[in-house]
Amino acid sequence: MPFPVASDLNATWSFIQPGLEFILGAQGDQGVTPKMYMNCYTAVYNYCVNKSRHGATATSIAASSDSNSYSLAGAEIYAKLDVYLTQFIRALKKEPSETFLEFYVRKWTRFTIGAGYMNNVFDYMNRYWVQKERSDGRRDVFDVNTLSLIKWRSEMFNNNSDTLISEVLDLIEMQRNNEIVDTSLISTAIKSLVFLGIDVQDLKKPNLVVYISYFEKNFLEKTGEYYSRESSQYLQEHNVVDYMKKCEARLAEEISRSNNYLEDHTKKHLLDILNKVLIEDHANEMYSQFLTLLEQNETDHIQRMYKLLYRLPATLGPLADTLEQYIKEQADKAIEKVKLASESQAEAKVDGKPTKKSAAGAVDPKSYINTLIAIYNQYNEVVHQAFNKDTRFIKSLDNACRHFMNKNSIAIPTPKAKCKTPELLARYADSFLRGTSKEVDTVDMNPENLMIVFKYLNDKDAFEEYYRRSLAKRLINGNSKSEELEESIIQRLQEENSIEYTSKMTKMFSDMKASEDLKANIKDHVSESIVKDFNPLILAQSMWPFTHMEDYDLNVAPELQAPFEKVVEIYGAKHNGRQLKWLWNHGRAELRANLSKKGKAPFVFTVSNLQMMILIAFNKKSTYTFSELHEIVGAARHTFESHLLPFTKYKLLDQSPPGPENTGNADTTFTIVEEYKSKKLKVNFTSVIKNNEAKQEEDDANKEIDETRRNYLSACIVRIMKSRKTVKHNELINEVLPQTLSRFHAKIIDIKRVIDQLIEKQYIQRIDNNTYEYLS
Amino acid sequence: MSAPKVIVISSDDEKFPVDPKVAEKSLLMKNMINDLNPDGLQEDFEIPTPNVRANVLAKVLEWCEHHKNTIFPDDDDDDARKSAPVEEWDKNFLKVDQEMLYEIMLAANYLNIRPLLDAGCKMVAEMIKGKSPEELRRIFNIVNDFSPEEEAAIRRENEWAEDR
Repeated sequence: MPFPVASDLNATWSFIQPGLEFILGAQGDQGVTPKMYMNCYTAVYNYCVNKSRHGATATSIAASSDSNSYSLAGAEIYAKLDVYLTQFIRALKKEPSETFLEFYVRKWTRFTIGAGYMNNVFDYMNRYWVQKERSDGRRDVFDVNTLSLIKWRSEMFNNNSDTLISEVLDLIEMQRNNEIVDTSLISTAIKSLVFLGIDVQDLKKPNLVVYISYFEKNFLEKTGEYYSRESSQYLQEHNVVDYMKKCEARLAEEISRSNNYLEDHTKKHLLDILNKVLIEDHANEMYSQFLTLLEQNETDHIQRMYKLLYRLPATLGPLADTLEQYIKEQADKAIEKVKLASESQAEAKVDGKPTKKSAAGAVDPKSYINTLIAIYNQYNEVVHQAFNKDTRFIKSLDNACRHFMNKNSIAIPTPKAKCKTPELLARYADSFLRGTSKEVDTVDMNPENLMIVFKYLNDKDAFEEYYRRSLAKRLINGNSKSEELEESIIQRLQEENSIEYTSKMTKMFSDMKASEDLKANIKDHVSESIVKDFNPLILAQSMWPFTHMEDYDLNVAPELQAPFEKVVEIYGAKHNGRQLKWLWNHGRAELRANLSKKGKAPFVFTVSNLQMMILIAFNKKSTYTFSELHEIVGAARHTFESHLLPFTKYKLLDQSPPGPENTGNADTTFTIVEEYKSKKLKVNFTSVIKNNEAKQEEDDANKEIDETRRNYLSACIVRIMKSRKTVKHNELINEVLPQTLSRFHAKIIDIKRVIDQLIEKQYIQRIDNNTYEYLS
Repeated sequence: MSAPKVIVISSDDEKFPVDPKVAEKSLLMKNMINDLNPDGLQEDFEIPTPNVRANVLAKVLEWCEHHKNTIFPDDDDDDARKSAPVEEWDKNFLKVDQEMLYEIMLAANYLNIRPLLDAGCKMVAEMIKGKSPEELRRIFNIVNDFSPEEEAAIRRENEWAEDR
């Protein structure tokens, strides 16, 4: 067929229309030939070129002063195409056997392919005329592909959108009901809505207006209704664990569905809806199962619940609160058990023979601390396994631990008692640090546990006091299990708290080292006397928890004086002006006693300093009266007596007249035995020395803690007042409180007392009812 | 089997078998190849070009062959396209008589070969640059249809553009 005359619009259109029929598939699925394609293109080209050439000459001169108004041909053929497309789309007919959706998708698929061809066939018109019209600002002219879509929208979609969308939603619901559906129908129809969202201002900008207003809104609404119905019904027939599994499955399905055929825009909204109807609306049902799951230790299901609720973090709050409460209750129960066990043990002992231990004091530090640790470990595991180390739940655990480790029926047996945990923890530490403890007893005790409980202690200062006291004893008695271990614990305490916190203990270690040097210095002087080994320790008074007790002031036997004097001399030469006081109540002596049968090895007696002086006196004479001996040895009478008693008790000294009631009489005589009888070669006379120093020591410790706290508080208050000059009462309290937290939890009444003291001492003054001023 | 060719057919029925890559320098041919062969070119593919004569088509395909591996600036990047100078090979290639030059440009426009059309336009611009109206009339064979009054009026209006 020859090409039409280029200037003849109708002829040109008649020439290309049959080609367009093929291109748009009006002729069934017959293929488009290259010739047909090229002929259409060429006819459009010829028409546009011819018209432009003639049109241009006709207007160019008249418009020479307005160079923008030259015209290109295209408008008429564009109008023809517009009409043609309208008619074409209107003529599309649904087969009786297919649903509207099937029809729509089938026709849409073919139409869009054709529109793409057509766009290229009309490329010359697109390139020049359409381009020019649009750059001149016309917004009702489009490239042919877009024109086709716009025609589809107005002629096909707008008239049928309700049917289309409801059929798509029905199909989605069928899929949710596990029926097999052709998902390509859904995805193609949905995709078509995206293509139909054309922004006439900017054809390149993607636009979801059609998708959102026709589909997304309805879809989200249907989804909400569907799952709201399903979840309520499901929960009536199933338990919460099954429901959670169902939720997981449904969420996974919906996410994969949205990946398959929804726009990203919808995903967030879809998840919001699902989270609301599946999770938030049923959070209460889940909460109600949480305790049961905890009790049954169903970590997997707890994790399941956590992961579901995590989608809406606000819903985790009640779970975290419940966990905290639950840990507290479990801890209370476990601690109550320990308490009851130790009380019944104490009673059993009472039945046998009298014991002076009070019921509360009978609690074994090991079982107490191990109980705390067991609770901690159990729920730390839950937090790690089920709650994915979520900070919210770590906080629950921390809060609960801080509570039950400080406030429980063992730590605070009576409402006003001081918390016993620091002391018990220090004793716990002492038992695995003391070399004299049996390995089997300490196998499950370790610094890690110590540090865990330490972390949660409120009264860290009290722990320091008790720990330092037991450390001091381990050091001077030389029975620490390992120096390395001791130092590593100090190091860890320092890291967990502060350098200041461990400063006294650190100083104690350096005192011990300095004393080693001293010992080496006086070694030569020692060997000249009857003293085989001498181990003097110089301890700084303010660091060590020891006080000088006059009751113990004794007379050093003449045989022993040399090394003691040497210590004073050497130390005095080095540190002029420092005063040394002998702490006779501490320290031990080992004496070799030649009281064995002939030919047998001599006994070794472990004795106190006081006892050593008593026994050495018997080197001169074998019998003394009580008052003679007391005269020689010195010390307070009752102290002397209590140290003398073990010798008669263990029959090293013959007392006359016998009986403990006579021991303290001035005229009672004591005679050393000729030959001592004991199965063991080593005899310890110190363990049975009767004294009430333990009670005394506890009082000392408490006194010292109180005093340190008062000092700490006054330092704190003075510091704040100094920088602020005037401060209101409440502000002052609020500033002081947090500053003490790393050491202890100050009571407001204590702070008030310290403030009163400072006013008395004229560091600060009251300027009105609730304001203080600093006095420099 | 050798790779399929695109056989471009001129208006006077001469066949030019070329590499698809060469034919695809024409956006028209490229679109068509893709539209009609959605699964890729399986066999030789004939494209009739009813508006281009064999001697012009030969020239155009020669240009396409030469530039089959050239990457031209993006069509949408007008500034880059306009400011780029005509490369030396193109200049020599387009040193043909005026009639042929116009034919090549028409074919480039028809077949949608933007870089070739640009090169042609720039060559024509070179020819116009610095020439008087009389010279231009001679070169482009234009009859002066202005009256002397009209001519004077136009000169006055465009005085600012005069090269002084």
